[in-house]
Amino acid sequence: MVEVKNLKKRYGEKQAVDGISFEVKKGEIFGILGPNGAGKTTTLEMMETLRDIDDGQVKIDGIDVAKEPQKIKYLIGVQPQTPAFQDKTKLVEVVEMFAAAYGEKVDPMEFLRDVELEEKANNYVEDLSGGQKQRLSITTALVHGPKVFFLDEPTTGLDPQARRHLWDLIEKVRAKGISVIMTTHYMDEAEVLCDRIAVMDNGKIVAIDTPKNLIKQLLDRGFSKKQHVEQANLEDVFIDLTGKGLREGQ
Amino acid sequence: MNKSFYTVKTFVKINTRRFFRDRLALFFSIGFPLIFLFVFGSLNSGNKDVSFNVALINQSNTSFAKDFVKNAENGKVLKVDKDVTTLDQAKDKMSRSELDAAIILPSDFGNVQSGAKYPTGQAKIVYTANNEQSGQALSSILDAQFKGINAQFVKNEAPFTVSSEQLNEKSLTPFDYTFAGLLGFAIIGMGIFGPVNVFPELKKMGILRRLSTTPLKVWQYFLSTMIGQAIIGLISLGIMFVVAILVFHLQVVGNYAELIIFLILGIITILGIGLALGGWAKNERQAAPLSNIIVFPMMFLSGTFFPRYLMPDWLQNISGFLPLTPIVDGIRLIATEGKHFIDILPQLGLIGVWMIVIYFIAFRVFRWE
Repeated sequence: MVEVKNLKKRYGEKQAVDGISFEVKKGEIFGILGPNGAGKTTTLEMMETLRDIDDGQVKIDGIDVAKEPQKIKYLIGVQPQTPAFQDKTKLVEVVEMFAAAYGEKVDPMEFLRDVELEEKANNYVEDLSGGQKQRLSITTALVHGPKVFFLDEPTTGLDPQARRHLWDLIEKVRAKGISVIMTTHYMDEAEVLCDRIAVMDNGKIVAIDTPKNLIKQLLDRGFSKKQHVEQANLEDVFIDLTGKGLREGQ
Repeated sequence: MNKSFYTVKTFVKINTRRFFRDRLALFFSIGFPLIFLFVFGSLNSGNKDVSFNVALINQSNTSFAKDFVKNAENGKVLKVDKDVTTLDQAKDKMSRSELDAAIILPSDFGNVQSGAKYPTGQAKIVYTANNEQSGQALSSILDAQFKGINAQFVKNEAPFTVSSEQLNEKSLTPFDYTFAGLLGFAIIGMGIFGPVNVFPELKKMGILRRLSTTPLKVWQYFLSTMIGQAIIGLISLGIMFVVAILVFHLQVVGNYAELIIFLILGIITILGIGLALGGWAKNERQAAPLSNIIVFPMMFLSGTFFPRYLMPDWLQNISGFLPLTPIVDGIRLIATEGKHFIDILPQLGLIGVWMIVIYFIAFRVFRWE
């Protein structure tokens, strides 16, 4: 579905993305991990037509991103790092507007139901919590039935309940056969969610494989953690105490 | 094409609804110009009769002098300050330009001199150097009044006389100029300050960036903004017309269809400046200074607050080419002078040229982030 070949981007002296290549299959969740400044966001932005490509090639569903960006826009859905919407706009109107941007007329309630926001349908966007905004943003990115869905650090700043809820949503998106490409700083998230992971550093991909294989490779190199294995971690305690249910105002 | 149209229609619909939910935006585009209309309208109306602020110091006890004072106080020409009774008080107020002049009726004013059949006297007009013009005008007015009184006492033949006749044809009042200027001010307020404030905000929040990942094209975004602005603008200007007609007795003699089309042209042309500035600016710090540099000179030079005919010729020649000038002039020509499109081709042509130039720039400099 997605082919990236030898992709490069330079900002002044800094080679932000330095010749990376990978492929993402249909219905796969692909994670891009790496420290800040590794080039994750720049990579996504080039694939999303937001940044010019210096060198290399990105093809989505066989279409070259650099050559036909307008066609690409119909194939992709984009979830920005911090979703924001014009104020004084109702949720139904936000969905209607994004669909209209693709020239489509949709039933907004159907898309709000997908992300469990139908009760907020006639509220203004400024009444939403961070997690609710993320969900609204996801559904607006899917109004036109894209084939590839990009998420940039979707769970940053969310509480554990909202995070888990978002994971479920991303799984649902994948179940529709949409390829998901996401960046994240949370290793547990990548481990649970991603089918395959690319680890980036200094603009290069330093490893690319399934989470299991990556861990196995590390262990094969003789790595061992000093601490003994716990049967549960603090997050399990938190979820046990506060439940998995989403909270009011999320 | 149908899909493109649906996109524009939906954006217009939702953004216009948003506007009416936003009280601050409503105030600035409808309330604010109305306040200016009331302020400037009140300054200009009630100014129709020439009048002089004078002190009338009567030192005489004659019945003629008393009648004179009474007539002067009831007349339209003089506005008599009744608080002032001495020359010193009058001088004090004249030095502050609160009074134009003082009229002194000396103690012998209106006395019937022994052997004469009728009263005589000489009124004295005192004015300061600052008020020379009003002082002299007042002298000739009083002179003319006295001639009329003299004629009642002494019959004499006047070989040459002047007669005057008022034409019934309508002429422009200062308010007609002010009103067209205020409409220009309202158009600027909505068309420039609107986008200049909103666009950088949308960019900062990443809203325009998010839209740029959709197939939405710049022309669709501009066109939907233009249509929305035209709707809101016509409502705002329409309210101003209604107030001007009801409260300030504006007489609209022109064709309303032509007026509405012309107002839309004006709104869209000026909106282009706002789209160019707001579309170019990355943030408020870039947008605000540049828009002020453009807006304020244009506002004053195009005759929004005072008519252009008060300017020296060379300045009129330059300011005539500013984009707002043909709009303000055209509104006045159509609305209060009853001109048609065919009569205002120079204005329409200039607006057309500006529209092409402005939108060419706006499309070139627009940035989604």
